[in-house]
Order: sequence, then structure tokens, then C-alpha cells
Amino acid sequence: MILSDLMGSRVEGSDGERLGTLIDVRFVIDGNPRQLLADARLEGIVVSPRSRASYLGYDRKDMNAPALIAHFLRRRHRGTFFVLWADIERVERGGVRLRSEFTAYDPRWSARVTG
Amino acid sequence: MRSHRLTTPPPAAGQVLDAQLSLLDRQVLDRTGVPVTTVDDIEVSDVPEGAIPVDAAPPVITAIVTGPVLATRIFGGRLPESRYIRIPWSDVSSVETVVRLGVDGEALDASWTERWVRDHIIRRIPGGRHDPE
Repeated sequence: MILSDLMGSRVEGSDGERLGTLIDVRFVIDGNPRQLLADARLEGIVVSPRSRASYLGYDRKDMNAPALIAHFLRRRHRGTFFVLWADIERVERGGVRLRSEFTAYDPRWSARVTG
Repeated sequence: MRSHRLTTPPPAAGQVLDAQLSLLDRQVLDRTGVPVTTVDDIEVSDVPEGAIPVDAAPPVITAIVTGPVLATRIFGGRLPESRYIRIPWSDVSSVETVVRLGVDGEALDASWTERWVRDHIIRRIPGGRHDPE
């Protein structure tokens, strides 16, 4: 599967209700070790309820300058959340369906400790 | 913004990469630091069709994909499969501001146009077979 088939997909809840648009796919390099780099496993997806556009990184890091742009982007992307792979029920072309009891996580990188 | 009220995701054991933010459109350099191409797309292993079992293993990146994607970026759609050139993930040595490979760019399909131009055009120009003096 090519990633651009997935980007911009409609994300819906288990009852078919629209939750937003898939704006990014998050990987973690912690899979099977290889000679150079370990496998990059798909950890989850970032869903924005309002915008299809990229957040230019403002959602992942605590950047707040230039203030005007930061404010505008935060407004446009308010409600953005991150969902783990385990909470994805179905992936089809143009649509992703989440499980009924999915957990919406903070999409910011700064919200977590990476080891 | 709602995110400050959301739960913190479990910690990751390795480097975290957001495809759009950390991979797509990044430059790809070979083992010796020579630019090879850019990351136009990412290929991941297949996702199970239909309902995904709860304990299904997550897909992994299988390859960096490159190709003439300008038109599909603007107008949408997808290139024919034959136009995509893949660099296997096993050749990638690090992902930073640029994506570094652990192999020589000369051996990759991704740089065939450059090699073709060098061998068929530049080589025929007088003085084109040696370094500038």
C-alpha cells in the first residue's frame, strides 16, 4: 500500500459518524532489527476534524512563533487527535474506520517521552 | 485547542517519524553523501482486508518510493505502477533532516536517468570524460 492512498482519507467512528480527515501517519523505528535500521512500524494515525491540510509541525511540537501563524493553525486544527494502530478497525481506499472504544491521544510529540 | 486535555500516548521505544513531517519530500543521500532523489511517497506492507483483528501486527515501511509525482500531486490520482521506483527500507541507514542510505546511489534504479544522461550525452561532449581541470 502506498501512503498517499491513505493521506486525506475520511476517518469515521464504528457507527459511521465522520470524525475527521487523516492528515498524517506516525511510524516508530522499533521493529525487527535489520543491518542498518530497524523496521519502522506504523504506530498510528493523526486525525484532524476540521482541516485536510498539514499542520506544518505546529501540532507535534510546542512551537508558538510567529504567534499569528501559530494561532491561526491551532484554530484550524483544534480537536486534532492521534489514534493507535490497535484502535483501527478497517482500512479501505479513501476511508478508515476506528473501533468503538478507541482512545484519542494527544498528537503532540512533546506529550511523550521517547527512548 | 483540545489536545491539552487528551491522554498522553504510551512512550515509544524508538525514533518517532510522522510521514508528512519527517519523511515526505526529504532529500535522500547515498552512502557517500551524494544526493540520489527525494522521498515522494512511502510504501507500507499490506493491511489486512476487511476487519483488522485486534492483535494484528502493524504494517511496516517496506520502501521509499520516488517517481514523477508532480502531476498527481496537483491533479490527484495515481501513477501507473511501472513509474514508481522503490528504494527498500533495508537500505536506509538514518532519518534526520535528510534520509541517508547505506548503499551507493550508483547501484539504485532511482538514479538511472542521471546515469543515462552521463553515459549517452555528457560523455560525447569533448572534455566530458574527465574531471574539470
